[in-house]
Amino acid sequence: MNPAITVQELRKTYRFPKGRRGFLASLAGLVSPDYVELEAVGGVSFEIAAGERVAIIGPNGAGKSTTLKMLCGVLEPTAGAASVLGFTPWRQRQALAYEIGVVFGQRSQLWTELPVRDSFALLRQVYDQPQAAFAERLSSLVDRFGVGELMDQPVNRLSLGQRMRCEIVASLLHGPSLLFLDEPTIGLDVTAKAAIRDFIREQSLNEGQTVVLTSHDTRDIELVCERVIVIDAGRIVIDEPTGELRRRFIARKLVTLRSQAPTLDLDLPGVTRRPAEPHTTVLEIDTKATRVDGVIAAALALGGIEDVTIEDPPMEEVIHEIFAAIRR
Amino acid sequence: MRSSPPSGANLLGTTRAALAAYRVGLASSLAAWPVLLGRAIFYGVCLTVLTAFWDKVGAARLAGTLATRLPPGGLGVYIGVTEWITLSVTPIQLRLEDDIRSGALEPHLLRPKPYLAQTIATEAGNMTARLGMIALGALLILTVSGRVWPSPLALAFVGVLGVIGGFIGILLYCLVGLSAFWLRKVLPPLLIMQKLMFLLGGLFAPISLYPPALRALAEASPFAAHLGFAGLQIIAPSASAFCFALALQAFWILALSGLIALAWRAGLKRTLQGVV
Repeated sequence: MNPAITVQELRKTYRFPKGRRGFLASLAGLVSPDYVELEAVGGVSFEIAAGERVAIIGPNGAGKSTTLKMLCGVLEPTAGAASVLGFTPWRQRQALAYEIGVVFGQRSQLWTELPVRDSFALLRQVYDQPQAAFAERLSSLVDRFGVGELMDQPVNRLSLGQRMRCEIVASLLHGPSLLFLDEPTIGLDVTAKAAIRDFIREQSLNEGQTVVLTSHDTRDIELVCERVIVIDAGRIVIDEPTGELRRRFIARKLVTLRSQAPTLDLDLPGVTRRPAEPHTTVLEIDTKATRVDGVIAAALALGGIEDVTIEDPPMEEVIHEIFAAIRR
Repeated sequence: MRSSPPSGANLLGTTRAALAAYRVGLASSLAAWPVLLGRAIFYGVCLTVLTAFWDKVGAARLAGTLATRLPPGGLGVYIGVTEWITLSVTPIQLRLEDDIRSGALEPHLLRPKPYLAQTIATEAGNMTARLGMIALGALLILTVSGRVWPSPLALAFVGVLGVIGGFIGILLYCLVGLSAFWLRKVLPPLLIMQKLMFLLGGLFAPISLYPPALRALAEASPFAAHLGFAGLQIIAPSASAFCFALALQAFWILALSGLIALAWRAGLKRTLQGVV
């Protein structure tokens, strides 16, 4: 499959004037300022295939937003090369804009005083969309994202979840083949988050859109993306499929047992008991030390087991484990 | 799903998008009509206070000054025109400052149409709504006050120069707003700009009353093109002065647009390099 994004040794170093103490020193600083340099991205390289859904994650200040900005074309790199849908983003920003959709979770691209419908109509002009094609696409997106009843409401009267659905529709109105999502579920409640994730995944699967997402919410990564790139201190430390990441970093399973007895007396090597309600036992199993089927067999042998659930640890723990491993 | 081939990287597409932005600005101001009404009432209050003062000054007709040339109550209607323009110009500098300093500029840069043209068009739409509402207020006040109505020709001249003057005001404040690329706050250049408008624009007194040297300086500045020329037409309408003013306004629109383009280009470079 053709790559939608190719990045080679991309670097970004910020340069700030250094503050000086004292009046005379400050004046001297105006004439010949000293600069501090901060390396935000220290040479990242990767490819993203067309239609792939990729999460770029990392601790605060890791360089993921800087990378995303360079790929969108709103930040020039210090060195390196990138091709996004065949464009060099920072040189062909306006041409690239026709081909990409961008959602910034904390910034609105809609006109807050206007009804949603008017914002969409203005975006048609901004993206030079023919009326008929635009109307067809709008109708399809309005149905898919369930924003029909919001169309005549001013944007500033929408809830955050409603606004975010409208933001995503706005970013798709010109039919982009690549979607950049920066914290698309930030501040949303659980239901709204789930809806947004479903919309994004379905949209990508139905239309074959490439999705590049940054988020601190591990469920966004887990439920939307098939591949994770972890950046730390401006460098890629991990780049692999989401499932593989989980398997590699956490050789653990969580087994939850519902029992007639308030507690179960299970003491096995490689098994740790987690706090739980009475009649529920949550066991964390180190799969390198013991097998899951052995633990379940031991539990069933005790009798009175009503229900058994086997889960992978939450993605949050995987990420925590990765960041901890990076720091070690 | 693919976008249609980009056809908007041309002047026509940009103009269409700017017109759409203008309509959005107009519509959003009209939708907030209570704010417009409040502004018109504020205009009425300002005018009541200022004309009470200026009518007395005008009536004194200070001997040996050019004030003797003014028609009765002329200063009052002059102020009515300059305040009409001043209160109609929207604070584009605040929007630019906010977008530039907060990073909110980035989503706008991800669109295929120039941010600044879209912003200026939106603000021009806002200003049009304000000009219309305050003009209605001004005509109502003129009727209620029992003053002599200016001639239709004077009103037509004022209308044209006032609208263009308002647009020059947007360009001036736009320049102030773009200083946010280099300054943390745009307040200092804004205060300087406002003082110059007061002095060289003839905000409170016609520049025709100024001593010759100061008058020449004022006329050569963009501030008179913004305020003073429209005001003068209400007290001394003249086709030749109207044409002269129109030519100067055209010059200043071109000159300020050029300066804005230069400032934007330099500021955008800083933003794209991550310096701002």
